[in-house]
Amino acid sequence: MRLQLGYVPLCDAAPLIVAHEFGFARAEGLDLDLSAEPSWATLRDRLALGHLDGAHMLAPLALASRFALSGPPSDLIVPLQLSRDGNAITLSHGLWAEMEPAGTTLDAIARAFARVAQVRREAGRPLTLGTVHPFSCHTYQLRLFAEAGGLDPSAFRTVVVPPQHSVEALARNLVDGFCAGAPWNAVAAAAGHGHVAVLGSLLAPDALEKVLAVSERLDGALPPLIRAVARAGRWCADPDNRTELVHRLIRRNYLDLDATLVGAAFAQDASAETTAGVHLRFGAAIQEPDLRCGRWILRQMRLSQQIAAPDVQDAGVATVFRPDLYRHATTDL
Amino acid sequence: MTETNLTVAVIDPSRARAAILEEGLRAAGVGRVVVLPDTADLTERVTALKPDVVVIHLESPSRDILEQMSGVSRQVERPVAMFVDRSDTTMMQAAVDAGISAYVVDGLRAERIKSILDIAILRFNAFARLQRELSEARGELADRKLIERAKGILMSLKGLSEDEAYKQLRRKAMNEKRKIADIARAIVTTADLLG
Repeated sequence: MRLQLGYVPLCDAAPLIVAHEFGFARAEGLDLDLSAEPSWATLRDRLALGHLDGAHMLAPLALASRFALSGPPSDLIVPLQLSRDGNAITLSHGLWAEMEPAGTTLDAIARAFARVAQVRREAGRPLTLGTVHPFSCHTYQLRLFAEAGGLDPSAFRTVVVPPQHSVEALARNLVDGFCAGAPWNAVAAAAGHGHVAVLGSLLAPDALEKVLAVSERLDGALPPLIRAVARAGRWCADPDNRTELVHRLIRRNYLDLDATLVGAAFAQDASAETTAGVHLRFGAAIQEPDLRCGRWILRQMRLSQQIAAPDVQDAGVATVFRPDLYRHATTDL
Repeated sequence: MTETNLTVAVIDPSRARAAILEEGLRAAGVGRVVVLPDTADLTERVTALKPDVVVIHLESPSRDILEQMSGVSRQVERPVAMFVDRSDTTMMQAAVDAGISAYVVDGLRAERIKSILDIAILRFNAFARLQRELSEARGELADRKLIERAKGILMSLKGLSEDEAYKQLRRKAMNEKRKIADIARAIVTTADLLG
């Protein structure tokens, strides 16, 4: 059976790429057509309109699509979680120098950021920070970063910076920092334009980052797809496979970036205390759709004033997140 | 259509395609059409232009920028909404098939945007057809060159006339149910390897 799957070229798309590249899909009788999508909006629309059978998707965007908060009406469901954590906030060297944090803890950094942000707002030149899409953990992590320093999040502007523009946006001072997933923080730091200030996992521990979102109409192809991606995700989580994984991801048709930069996402030996925390995580422990994660995302949507309280009820999460489908398909793995 | 008081922004990674749409919208009487480059400072450019409608190609990574400028974040001065007319899925399918997404300033009437979308769909489809024809023409040209080379190889190796060489190619292709260009490619490749 042939399936059309979309992804955005990022390290956490690895389970889909590996399912295709290392035979996990073929072992389940599936032939995957992977397409790199140019934006989250286009990926969402193509999935909603049936051009894609499934996709690697920002967890908040999957809920927003299904609940008609974003894009065309969709029937998508989440039968498997792809990754947790992996995001970070990178700040420009100029801002970092101005902050002069008193220490290397989250508290010290967030307070230093809050102080500068406040000064800049009062001067009528508010700071500008980049996220990847309104409906993303990145958006919520920026808000949590502000709050960790006692800052009202409306003190700075939030804009979207597509990852491939992030280095240029920092270099040209179009933004003072951004929250992005791997490998884009490493890319900006290596280009000499930014300082990785805080890992997302310090702001929102265990945040559900990407999910496998599929059309509800997938039916018979769904159990083999869940199995193939689940096995691929477990393969990705095995440190023994890291070198092979990195070398496959950097190919031109996938991430097309330097191995060191991509590899940094999977390195757990961060030496600086400020970047201590949990990096990108895959594997069996995180794959079963977790309703608590869905409810956490809805709470973030409310706190970020993207939805009003009665718009979407917590109970709605259970129509999208489907641990039953995951368990049924993976009992014998 | 006379929409002289409308400002439409066009964002497309392909400059040729953007130019074709720009011309189409102008011809239809849209007052102001501005092609914006797909660069990192797009937020600033859109904010400064204050367009009523943004037509953006689905291939552009900047679509997510416009999503942030839409109603979900209330810091935006003139929020735009993605144009999704839920009553008209045919229109939406046609737009996406043609590679178009449109964002409109909140409150703009649906009829006004529909005519703009119609033009965009027509123009983008025409552009895609032209591109297809162009690549087919390029393919045919490449095929013809291959066949010429294969004929030359047969002529010098087997002492055939040009006409006989072509007949041999054609007979082989018919017997094997393949295209003449495929047979020619095999001959050229073999000659390259052995020569």
